[in-house]
Amino acid sequence: MKGKFVCVVCPTSCDVNAEWNETELLSIDHAQCKLAWEFIRGEIFDPRRTVTTSIMVDGGELPLVSVKTRTPVPKAQVLAVMDRLADVMVRAPVDIGEVIVPDVLGTGSDVVATRKVKHKG
Amino acid sequence: MRTEAVDVAIVGGGPSGMAAAVAARRAGAEKVVLLERGEQLGGILNQCIHDGFGTKVFEQALTGPEYAQIYIDRMEETGVSYALNTMVLDLSPERELTVCSSQGLRQINAKAVVLCMGCRERTRGAIRIPGHRPAGVYTAGVVQYYMNLRNLAVGRRVVILGSGDVGLIMARRLTLEGAQVLCVAEILPYPSGLARNIVQCLDDFDIPLYLRTTVVEIHGRDRVTGVTLAQIGPHGGIVPGTKRLVECDTLLLSVGLIPENELSKKARVALSPVTGGPVVDDHLQTSVPGVFTAGNALQVHDLVDYACLEAERAGASAARYAMAGRLPAAEIAVRPGQGIRYVVPQLVSGTESVDFSMRVVSPDHDRYVIFRRDGHELRRMKENVLAPASMLRIRVRSDRFQRGAGELTVEVGA
Repeated sequence: MKGKFVCVVCPTSCDVNAEWNETELLSIDHAQCKLAWEFIRGEIFDPRRTVTTSIMVDGGELPLVSVKTRTPVPKAQVLAVMDRLADVMVRAPVDIGEVIVPDVLGTGSDVVATRKVKHKG
Repeated sequence: MRTEAVDVAIVGGGPSGMAAAVAARRAGAEKVVLLERGEQLGGILNQCIHDGFGTKVFEQALTGPEYAQIYIDRMEETGVSYALNTMVLDLSPERELTVCSSQGLRQINAKAVVLCMGCRERTRGAIRIPGHRPAGVYTAGVVQYYMNLRNLAVGRRVVILGSGDVGLIMARRLTLEGAQVLCVAEILPYPSGLARNIVQCLDDFDIPLYLRTTVVEIHGRDRVTGVTLAQIGPHGGIVPGTKRLVECDTLLLSVGLIPENELSKKARVALSPVTGGPVVDDHLQTSVPGVFTAGNALQVHDLVDYACLEAERAGASAARYAMAGRLPAAEIAVRPGQGIRYVVPQLVSGTESVDFSMRVVSPDHDRYVIFRRDGHELRRMKENVLAPASMLRIRVRSDRFQRGAGELTVEVGA
């Protein structure tokens, strides 16, 4: 099979032509670096995305803390992860890197805070 | 009024300001003070909770707040002092800053100043969309602030005008939070945001992007009830028969960013009509001696990495100026040639290597960017993909320049 992809690993956003069969990626062209190979193989056989969002904080200097999945989760589960996080609330203080939800939806990826939120006042 | 003297004063505590401050300390400036108007350091990165920052410098995809934390930690390590909730009201060409905070007014006399005020969003007024003035029309960055820092929702059915990166990022963000993003309309024949954002933010969620299309009317009196979209012909003007109504309650504008330079004007810094930022030399020094600038106040960047690299140069130059009182004269004028919209810096001393930033006029591929000094070719660089949305950053080594006055042109060629 053949297809065209935009590599999103870095902002260069290379346009890449790829060729693959049922099980493996056979060739790519026009990529400026090696990272495109893994990304495009992922896009074909197991597309994943890092989910970034924010969750509520009780007693914090800010009402929200930003979070991310530490590793990318299957693209098909992105909206399910959002639903899982919709009602989560943590207490201030929150530290950067703190695990908020371990192994979210069994994806093997922890949801972690991406900033500090201090106590109010 | 209280008066204090510092070596280097930095205006703005976003990534550029922090990078400049750290670099000034590392280059040997004793007393470096950073002044931030807002209540926290980090600037726009605080609301950019998505990832993808840092791929050029840190070789990983960080979120905005994580990226900011790296520089906040470096500020602590290097002993930069900073003041939050502090507004610089005035700057004189003699580098006297009038500063306002809850402690009252004070004056700071700086041996060197680095201007890192960032940029502003263009608004509805700037693009003159006819119609009433109902609630529900926002700039993309304001919605990003409301959603990501204040936990406020703005609407349920959203049309986005303009394909700038912030608009694309917000298309995804709104979708993830349950709003319906109906489409993104872009007046140009190509997107203004990065290709990776078209893929990750629109294609992933099947959000259509209509090129050569704009909003010609906003409907609704109290609240937006819809917008009329129309196709725009190659010479401007609506293509007959292409008007259509889209019912929505919210219109987001992502129609460009403008470097923030009100303070620069007060110091009588010369501005470029093309970039909207100051005219600078290769030390990032403006037309006013001892006043430097970097980041989005100088030129709108796509990547925070490049803004910070630029700011490190400005901070180190400012430290050098504070200690030595002068920098080498920059007498080589840099001019954009065929296919190039602008080049920064606009003046070069020729004494050190220079990282030139530039944007092309229109999309192209497999071309060379060619540097010529008075007609003689100094350097050519192959570029596979050229897009107005992607700033090019190309280094020219110092031994390629010849000293003395003259002209350097940069052009796109075969």
